[in-house]
Amino acid sequence: MPKNKLKTAHTPRSKWWYFKRLVLTTGVIALLWCVWIDFEIRRDFEALQWALPARLYARPVELYVGANISQAQLEQTLKRLGYSERQDINGPGEYQITASRIRLWTRGFEFWDGTEPSVYLNVEFNGTSVRNLWGDQNTGDLALVRLEPVEIAQINPETGEDRLPISMSDVPQHLVDAIISVEDQRFYSHYGVDPTGIARAMLANIRAGSIVQGGSTLTQQLIKNLYLDRRQTLRRKIEEALMAVMLELHFSKETILTAYLNEIFLGQQGNRAIHGFALASEYYFSRPLKELSLSELAMLAGLPRGASYYNPLRYPERATARRDIVLQRMQSQGFISEEQQREAQSQNLRLATRTLSQHGRYPAFMELVREDLARDYDGEALRTEGLRIFTTLDLRVQDVVDDKLENAVKSVERAAASGDDGQLEAAVVITDAISGEVRAIAGGRQRGYAGFNRALNANRQIGSLVKPAVYLAALETGDYSLASVLSDNPITISLPGNQEWSPKNYGDKLYGDVYLFDALERSMNLATVDLGMKIGVDKVAQMLKRLGVEKDIPLYPSLLLGAIDMAPIDVAQMYQTLASNGFYSPLRAVEAVTTGQGARLERYGIATEQVADANSMYLLEYALQGVFRRGTAETMAARLGAHLPLAGKTGTTNDLRDSWFAGYGDDLVGVVWLGYDDNRDTGLTGASGALRVWAELMDSLEIRSRENFERSGIEWKKVSIDATTQVRQRNCSSTLSLPFAQNRFADTAVDCEDESLFQNIIDRVRGLGR
Amino acid sequence: MITRVSLLLSLSLLSACASYSTGRGIPAPVESRDNSTSVIAPPSAQPSGGTINTPIQRRELPSTQTIDPRPGTALPPTTNEQPATASSTLLQGVDAAIAQGDLERAAALCERALRISPRDALLWYRLASVRAQQGRLNEAEGFAQRALSFSNADRALEAQIQALLRSI
Repeated sequence: MPKNKLKTAHTPRSKWWYFKRLVLTTGVIALLWCVWIDFEIRRDFEALQWALPARLYARPVELYVGANISQAQLEQTLKRLGYSERQDINGPGEYQITASRIRLWTRGFEFWDGTEPSVYLNVEFNGTSVRNLWGDQNTGDLALVRLEPVEIAQINPETGEDRLPISMSDVPQHLVDAIISVEDQRFYSHYGVDPTGIARAMLANIRAGSIVQGGSTLTQQLIKNLYLDRRQTLRRKIEEALMAVMLELHFSKETILTAYLNEIFLGQQGNRAIHGFALASEYYFSRPLKELSLSELAMLAGLPRGASYYNPLRYPERATARRDIVLQRMQSQGFISEEQQREAQSQNLRLATRTLSQHGRYPAFMELVREDLARDYDGEALRTEGLRIFTTLDLRVQDVVDDKLENAVKSVERAAASGDDGQLEAAVVITDAISGEVRAIAGGRQRGYAGFNRALNANRQIGSLVKPAVYLAALETGDYSLASVLSDNPITISLPGNQEWSPKNYGDKLYGDVYLFDALERSMNLATVDLGMKIGVDKVAQMLKRLGVEKDIPLYPSLLLGAIDMAPIDVAQMYQTLASNGFYSPLRAVEAVTTGQGARLERYGIATEQVADANSMYLLEYALQGVFRRGTAETMAARLGAHLPLAGKTGTTNDLRDSWFAGYGDDLVGVVWLGYDDNRDTGLTGASGALRVWAELMDSLEIRSRENFERSGIEWKKVSIDATTQVRQRNCSSTLSLPFAQNRFADTAVDCEDESLFQNIIDRVRGLGR
Repeated sequence: MITRVSLLLSLSLLSACASYSTGRGIPAPVESRDNSTSVIAPPSAQPSGGTINTPIQRRELPSTQTIDPRPGTALPPTTNEQPATASSTLLQGVDAAIAQGDLERAAALCERALRISPRDALLWYRLASVRAQQGRLNEAEGFAQRALSFSNADRALEAQIQALLRSI
């Protein structure tokens, strides 16, 4: 026993000596501890870098004369951006509606391609588009105004913490005053701890018999938040007090206050923790901090005391009472007048509605964004660097898809096929016809469906959607024209291993001799196989590759009828190339990435490459427009009326497992797929299913018709209305005009350009004989 | 205990004063974030050879780019007698961006204008010239071809596009 030894070895005289040693040792240990804490707090605070989530934005609304947006759609956008409707417009983020006009003051935004200033403007509408746009005396004429983009999602740090860091200059003075008056009145005079405050709080707590006041200074609260240590041990409290003192020694009041304003915990949304006042402002009011009123700022200032207890979204009466206390304190400390207090207390809280948040509403599109981003960014950078990601999502288009899809699918669904084991499913991809930017995606028939994303991952046979590639490959050889006569007759093809393939038309029809354009418009299988076997399956496969199909293409004759599995997004890529007249542009979901401050990091611009001969594309387009005029999509011609001409193709697979339609106007390309996850018979062809859904969506989207231009390499010629290969059967009594590439005109048997009298007489006689 | 706390406090004050005198202002955490760090892709990026078939074009960060002095890529002046329209405003922005040497911004503004008037051959041509100046010739060629496909009967523009194509 050392203690006994000590006792026996020394006389009482040395007790004093031991005491001195004890004090000294304690002193040294305490000193080292202090030095360590001092080192720790300086290191941590100087290196303070919050992990910031990446924020993703939809494509911003652009306003200009002729812009495709209605008054209701603009109003909807403004509401999403948290603009307030007012009688008079006094600042950014406010708007006013009159009969056919919206007046608004934009907030301005730091875009990746420059700063969009905050402007005051008037917008006048003309049905579904902008008729006029003008500013005030200061701004004058306005040609083009871009609104802030709507935030659609974020990629959160693993801590779940989210914040929008701001600097002191962006913090309204009322907020600072409010916080100081309720949390730490002597903030500007104390040294990190406030003994007077502690005494006052203790007194108040004793009087009330419970804890009603805390004596912590803002500095202490900041430290508590930074180290996330909820242990209320004495040692921890002393440590916190020490750290507070040291923080004050090394850093200015302003730095500490800024850190407090950004760090403090102010709410919880699911697993996302709302930190800092700037984000709290967005979260509770859907508006930036600088647009908040005194009443709203006072409410926020009341939250640090208990963010969940005073949560205004859940307990508005508690939050209001707390706000009133904050306002009362502000008044009693001379920050505001009694009148300001009364005025602010009389206001009702105008809180953000839950539906305003766009987060998590576009899971299908977000999956594509994540795939695109994964090429250049690792997950860590996305979760912590506070990146801003500008996507190509067009909320106008996505809204229409979300609003209309489910009912449109219901209206074509065959009750007999759907049942307990699954309903008819759908996938939609809509892209910009010019740039390849993806505008909207639906991964299932339900709005905001977050499960299996069929648009990206359901690989299904594409059926007749493949045919444009067959016909384009044929036209490009120069051996075929739209008036080439194909044979739609029974055909049997021998396959390796003594197998045979005898394709059939839908409904077992036989069309006999047909024009090439007619075979495509009415989607004849036998004529297509006839043509495809003549030019070679490999040519068709090459054409598919050129059009943008990236997967392995099986070189079987059945490829000619679409025996290739593709997801709707792959089909969209292929039809994108057709829509831009043979120019391939890779589909994109991300336009640019910037830092949180707006510095450009990465930009994904349009790329384009001509992959198909322009004249052949012209001819193909004629037939794909004919699909609506005379072919398999004719049933929807009346429905789409004013939007025609449009181009497209139906697709139906064996046993009606898949119903497809892919089509385009001048502005948009749309692909619709319908089917069951278990490959059941849908009872639907491309025309009776997907086409109807497509037409419903595109009509609502006001799809722009295809503009047809004359081309210098194209000539229009008359051919007989009857397709025949026999010259002596030529019949020019009725004719139709078709476009031809100059190197390949019609065969003699159908050519009706020769208008000689002799020929006419022969044709008349022939006509009589019938 | 209170004496102990006050002892510690005074010690800490001593230690702090003795060890450092940080006169320099430490910037608030907001400003301490460095914009240029570590968010760029992993080094697997291929040299930006401008292959069109990669689904997404990677590009270098904007740097000071020198204007291509070749005569063939001279840009047409953007003249406008009419009141400002969305695309004329953007084209002015294109000129300004080129003057500042920010070619990527110039390209971006061309693309923005194209979203408003997708069949405007001049806009496609301007985009082609910007890409040519950046040395991204594959892309420039694609855009020039596309400009040609929309340049109905505009002989002067067609000649300019052909000249650009020859220079690529």
